[in-house]
Amino acid sequence: MRVALFVTCLVDVMRPSIGFATMRLLEAAGCDVVVPEDQTCCGQPAWSAGEADAARALAKKNISDLAGFEYVVLPSASCAEHIKNAYPELLAGEPEWAEKAADLSKRTFELTSFLVDVLKVNEVPGDFHGSITYHDSCKGLRKLGIKQQPRQLLAKMKGVTLREMGESEECCGFGGAFAAKFGEISTVIVDRKCASIRESGAEVVVGGDLGCLLNIEGRLRRRGDPTRVLHIAEVLAGEGQ
Amino acid sequence: MRSQAMFFQEQAAQKACDPQMQKTLAYVRPLFVGKRKKGLEGLAADGLGFEEMRVACQEIRDRVVDNLDVWLELFEARAQATGAKVLWARDGDEVARLLVDLARQHGVRKVVKSKSMLSEEADLNTAFAAAGIESIETDLGEYIIQLAGETPSHIIAPAVHKTKEEVADLFVAHHGLPRQSDITALAREARGVLRQHFLSADMGVSGANFLVAETGSAALVTNEGNGRMVTTLPRLHVVIAGIEKIIPNLQDLATLMRLLPRSATGQSISNYVSVLTARGGLALDSPVQGPEKIVFVLVDNGRADLLGGEFASMLRCIRCGACMNHCPVYTAIGGHAYGWVYPGPMGSVLTPLYTSLKTAQDLPQATTGCNQCGAVCPVGIPLPELMRALRRRTFEEGLRPWLERLGYKVWAWAACHPRFYHWGVRRAVRYLKWLAGGEAFIRVLGMAPGWTGGRDLKAPPGRSFQELWADRKNRG
Ligand code: SF4
Repeated sequence: MRVALFVTCLVDVMRPSIGFATMRLLEAAGCDVVVPEDQTCCGQPAWSAGEADAARALAKKNISDLAGFEYVVLPSASCAEHIKNAYPELLAGEPEWAEKAADLSKRTFELTSFLVDVLKVNEVPGDFHGSITYHDSCKGLRKLGIKQQPRQLLAKMKGVTLREMGESEECCGFGGAFAAKFGEISTVIVDRKCASIRESGAEVVVGGDLGCLLNIEGRLRRRGDPTRVLHIAEVLAGEGQ
Repeated sequence: MRSQAMFFQEQAAQKACDPQMQKTLAYVRPLFVGKRKKGLEGLAADGLGFEEMRVACQEIRDRVVDNLDVWLELFEARAQATGAKVLWARDGDEVARLLVDLARQHGVRKVVKSKSMLSEEADLNTAFAAAGIESIETDLGEYIIQLAGETPSHIIAPAVHKTKEEVADLFVAHHGLPRQSDITALAREARGVLRQHFLSADMGVSGANFLVAETGSAALVTNEGNGRMVTTLPRLHVVIAGIEKIIPNLQDLATLMRLLPRSATGQSISNYVSVLTARGGLALDSPVQGPEKIVFVLVDNGRADLLGGEFASMLRCIRCGACMNHCPVYTAIGGHAYGWVYPGPMGSVLTPLYTSLKTAQDLPQATTGCNQCGAVCPVGIPLPELMRALRRRTFEEGLRPWLERLGYKVWAWAACHPRFYHWGVRRAVRYLKWLAGGEAFIRVLGMAPGWTGGRDLKAPPGRSFQELWADRKNRG
């Protein structure tokens, strides 16, 4: 099974280890993983900002780059959601492209949903010992229905104790450019998340979107809270210990 | 009400850093969220699913919004048949003018009002004051903020930002009675004062949660009983309502009532649900009580422009407030920062549409895109998508700062040219690592001060994924 790994621009720049962990997970599950070299960004920042032309240009670029793969997998629900939902919407006016967008939409998956819903994996390659609390990122939860998948995968790891935080479904206040544009508001929102994490008593907070994780980790450190922050791929691949 | 939405950024930042405000918001947020949750559990206990009810409610609203002209004519005809008068207002100023005229024609000196957001759109109290007519808000929260000379910060709980001590101070200053310190006593005091106003007022003004076309009536959903006083005691009653408030019939009212109070306050039903119809031919001394005359003022104020367009779904809104109560941004800053009548996600869509996109452009920018609002809206309004459509419009109309527009253009061009892009990324990751100066975190980032104002940035390892991957492949 030929699977394209789209690492996302944020992972490319800020935390390459997540890309490698994702690759390891996919390979362990028997996929033939290809990293399309020309990949850059899914275009979500442009679409979010209202720059439809730029978002459309990137949608077309990625549709072309990702043609011919059985599946496209991303270690981010937010970017996966953009490809799945926004590409068809952006290209609705161009029938030829709309069809390709709809096709890519069907082949595109967020990592944990791919492992659980498509591959139905029974085991994960990594090892991890400690207590974990899971932050549900908004797009994954409310747009792609990702809730149980990461938890099911964590449950396959013997050393993991899951300690659910209160309000795990609440937004962390990242929102892409939002956190930089409206820093003070974002800080109030992420403070609630930090409090929930602390109250959970878990040693590590884990999530599926690097954006949220950068925001949460950045705020935890500024508050002097040493709770570790890991991406679900890192934990499952055993790179978090 | 003149929009202050252009000051959103500063106002919001200030509220986010105001400890008293934060304390209040932190206290209120779980209350509203918890109450709605309980309310929906009650719905489930009745064997009804939220999703199916939401579809039903959405259909009722769409049925009207899709053919609004027809429904408005029907409502007008039915209302007139009951003896009510129907007037039309293009905007807030016209509402104010019509109401002042009505008051003058009927020799009104005192007006009592129950909660109406449209009256805020029209800045009615200011117009009455200018005409020398006393107007009293009688919803407890509205009454409090009227005494304080403020505007509502929440559409359901207008004075939610006020503490009980502040209210006690206000009452002492305005009522001249001994200071009360507990909430029940304060409420009782307000009730006593308001009762006198109800009895002495010549005109009542209310909004309407719905206008029922079938019967030509206004439906009012309230909790304090003041609505009943306002609509029945004065001899003249005026209902002001947006033209989108129509619903076909009373059965639809029952359906919508399944979700409205539950979404707003978690109640299975509000304390009062009133259906107000003019007295038809009934004589004034008949046992049927109520005002001698009812006038409906139906208001456009930007609504008709939404019909048939990409924002038409916003006209479904039943003003329950659930989107605000669940919004991470609203619950971080409260209502005043939004600068106009409607706060929260609903306001972030309505304010740019009903006032001006140029001055209110920051509102639809101030969202994390979390879709908590879209998930709770009882009439399925895709609020995040509408906010994004407004951002697109802002961009297309060239309203964003030129540097930002240029930035996105350059970035998008680069992202479509991978070689150039990856070259840029290699530079950027090295720069960020250098900024961290050997530390794990960057504490000050000149190009994103908003980010490092409140949080650190974990430093990247200094080489991009693509670089590391190329290395790995080359090593075989
Ligand atoms: S937009 Fe939806 S959730 Fe918000 S007030 Fe209107 S009906 Fe309620």
